[in-house]
Amino acid sequence: MMPLLLSAVVGCRSGAGAPPSGYLQVDIDTSPLALDPRLGTDAMSSRVGELVFDALARVDEHQEFAGDLAASIERSAPTAIVFHLRPGLRFSDGRPLTARDIKYTYDSILAPGSLSPRAAMFSELAAIETPDSATVILKTHRPYAPALTLATVGVVPYGTPIVPHGAAPVGSGPFAVEAFARDDRVVLRRNPYRLAALGTPRGIVFKIVPDPTVRALELAEGVCDLVENLIQPDLLGYLQRRPALAIDRFPGTAYQYLAFNFRDPRLKDLRVRRAIAYALDRRAIVDHLFHRTARVANGMLAPENTYYFGGVTTYPYDPARADSLLDKAGYPRGASGWRALAFVYKTTPEGERLAEAFQAMLGRVGIRLRIRVNEFGAFYGDIQRGNFDLMSLQWVGISDPHQYRMVFDSRQTPPRGLNRGAYSNPAMDRLVETGDSTLDRAARRAIYRQVQRLAADDLPYVSLWWQDNVVVMDRGLEGFRPYPNGSLRSLADVSRGPRAHVERGP
Amino acid sequence: MKRYIVRRLLSLVPVALGVASLTFALIHLIPGDPVIAMLGDNASNADIVGLRQRLGLDRPLWDQYAAFLYGLAHGDLGRSILTNEPVARLIAERFPATLELAIAGLAIAILIALPLGFAAGANPGRPIDLGAMSFAILGISIPHIYLGPLLMIVFSLDLGWLPLTGRGGLSHLVLPALTLGAALAAILARMLRQSLAAAGEADYIRTALAKGRSRLAALVHHGLRNAISPVVTLLGLQLGGLLTGTIVTEIIFSWPGLGRLLITAISARDYPLVEGCVLTFALTYVLVNLVTDLAYALIDPRVRIE
Repeated sequence: MMPLLLSAVVGCRSGAGAPPSGYLQVDIDTSPLALDPRLGTDAMSSRVGELVFDALARVDEHQEFAGDLAASIERSAPTAIVFHLRPGLRFSDGRPLTARDIKYTYDSILAPGSLSPRAAMFSELAAIETPDSATVILKTHRPYAPALTLATVGVVPYGTPIVPHGAAPVGSGPFAVEAFARDDRVVLRRNPYRLAALGTPRGIVFKIVPDPTVRALELAEGVCDLVENLIQPDLLGYLQRRPALAIDRFPGTAYQYLAFNFRDPRLKDLRVRRAIAYALDRRAIVDHLFHRTARVANGMLAPENTYYFGGVTTYPYDPARADSLLDKAGYPRGASGWRALAFVYKTTPEGERLAEAFQAMLGRVGIRLRIRVNEFGAFYGDIQRGNFDLMSLQWVGISDPHQYRMVFDSRQTPPRGLNRGAYSNPAMDRLVETGDSTLDRAARRAIYRQVQRLAADDLPYVSLWWQDNVVVMDRGLEGFRPYPNGSLRSLADVSRGPRAHVERGP
Repeated sequence: MKRYIVRRLLSLVPVALGVASLTFALIHLIPGDPVIAMLGDNASNADIVGLRQRLGLDRPLWDQYAAFLYGLAHGDLGRSILTNEPVARLIAERFPATLELAIAGLAIAILIALPLGFAAGANPGRPIDLGAMSFAILGISIPHIYLGPLLMIVFSLDLGWLPLTGRGGLSHLVLPALTLGAALAAILARMLRQSLAAAGEADYIRTALAKGRSRLAALVHHGLRNAISPVVTLLGLQLGGLLTGTIVTEIIFSWPGLGRLLITAISARDYPLVEGCVLTFALTYVLVNLVTDLAYALIDPRVRIE
């Protein structure tokens, strides 16, 4: 019966769901939250959005800010940055893009009740001036070193209202949104007003495939052309054996950390935090759990960042030292071998394996770790409320050291900021504030050397690793350029060489 | 019969009320905040407060509950917090995909269970029985999350017969339906085997054999009709599992149905959408059970519905 049924069905195998000819298929794990760049701040909205919308500036492959809509950028005063726009800019519907559109984009974000999560980012922004149609001036309230981060918002046409989860606005990027079916796919087609090299894709289908094994199978079958950072490391070996696929690894900037909750008096003790850092064998986790797709980290900024400083205190795996520190902190081992130290580690189902590795390693030095697994919404709620002892998360796309202020400044505890462990050190507060207002690059670098040294000594986080960017793609694709922050911007420039896929007929 | 159907349909009202109230309570009990999920970490307090007011989430819980029940009584499931679209429209967009998958899963389960259960039940203790029941145990034991990718590897990757994921033509439906229906097929086959084997010993079969009918003909014409009633009962009970099974199957096969919508809604704490999805699943379950009860009367003349 089954073979009969199958043969009948195979006979009418349909091409429904396959990407149109000349389109790339890229598998992603979740739907973008919003395709309006003023609303969508999640990773997938950013990945898709940067192919549709241009900004005044963006972070390039070398982790530096570079002009995007702007042909040149100059700091005309400590509180003003001038952007001179490229000539002949157009949106994908043919409308010219001028300074008026850029000012409108910012104004609509800052308008009362706009609901844009980006509004809070712009608290340093004092004014946007447009002396002519090809010039934009961003003015800040005070000298603000990370001011270029304010220039990375995708620009929409003048008059486009912010409609939560409405249709995607028009952009000026290499692609335009053709269709968006939530939980199914986002289809982009070429912007007809942008030059594209011959052989580059006519469009891109971002297909939402939540199951990681299925993403690997889609690559193996050749229905998917590219997946970035969404293949489980233990499946890479399987894909490596497929001759039609290429696997490339590039140093990434996604930073995984273990955070302490300073509301707990036991974790306020530096000796306990250091003991935990020494007890974690990060090399073993990177080698075995991540199949060497990460680098052991010594700070938040990756070595590729111009502000990176490597001369900080490090915590190599040393359980004997951890034991000694815990003894000195007043937590001797009992008769059973355990110490009077038990912590609650909050995580999600995806982080469970890592939690078990931490549990085993801390168990070796006599610390009990109780793992509490919740789906992301509940986990996130707990983290926001400070309802955890230990937790591990990842910061993605760090390009400016301003991030240190967001996470370690004592005035940035939730709900106002990202200092979820309520870490407080006046020296750190002073340094990160000075770092934000110091415009001279060399002086700023010196400040962040101190910040990185203090963060490593004081240990509000245990730095775990920087995740590599792992791209699995059709071997026939040429021209994909990796960005340390995982951006897929170069998909606009890839071309298909001799097709390596195994073609299947109906 | 008509009175019975009307009575059962009327009983949907308290069921819907109970399910809606329970879902409302549970989704509000679990931690998480839809406003933070929407606006993210960097949102200002003013934005958080503003959105909470706009969505009516600043009102007391009893007030929100009353508004929810009022809307429900007027056939209004509210608007999704996540997409700002009417919940009823979102469900209407996704429910056909889930229904299609569930019906296909059910059809495949029946298509597998009937011959398998019959072959085993007609030959109890023989190798064919042992083989069929071993196959059935395998069907019950393999979880969807494992069976789905396994079928994909065999039928899509190795044989290249069927597409891996997505919703399209009939070919897209086979693997998810097989994944969904496998466990139900196994359960039904085992039940049919048991009841047919018992029927094989019954007096009416012996009488049929004495009248010169072959054993196969006696079992098909007399045994099967008697043996099928408990299978239908079991089918009704198992349909809930089939419906909830669509959630996992939809995730594995990237099937854009109600199950995936529900998971997204739960993650985002989209209260109205969660309530709408759960209510739809519950009412479908109750309606399918009503149809199952009505089917008894058609299958077994001893059953009269009043």
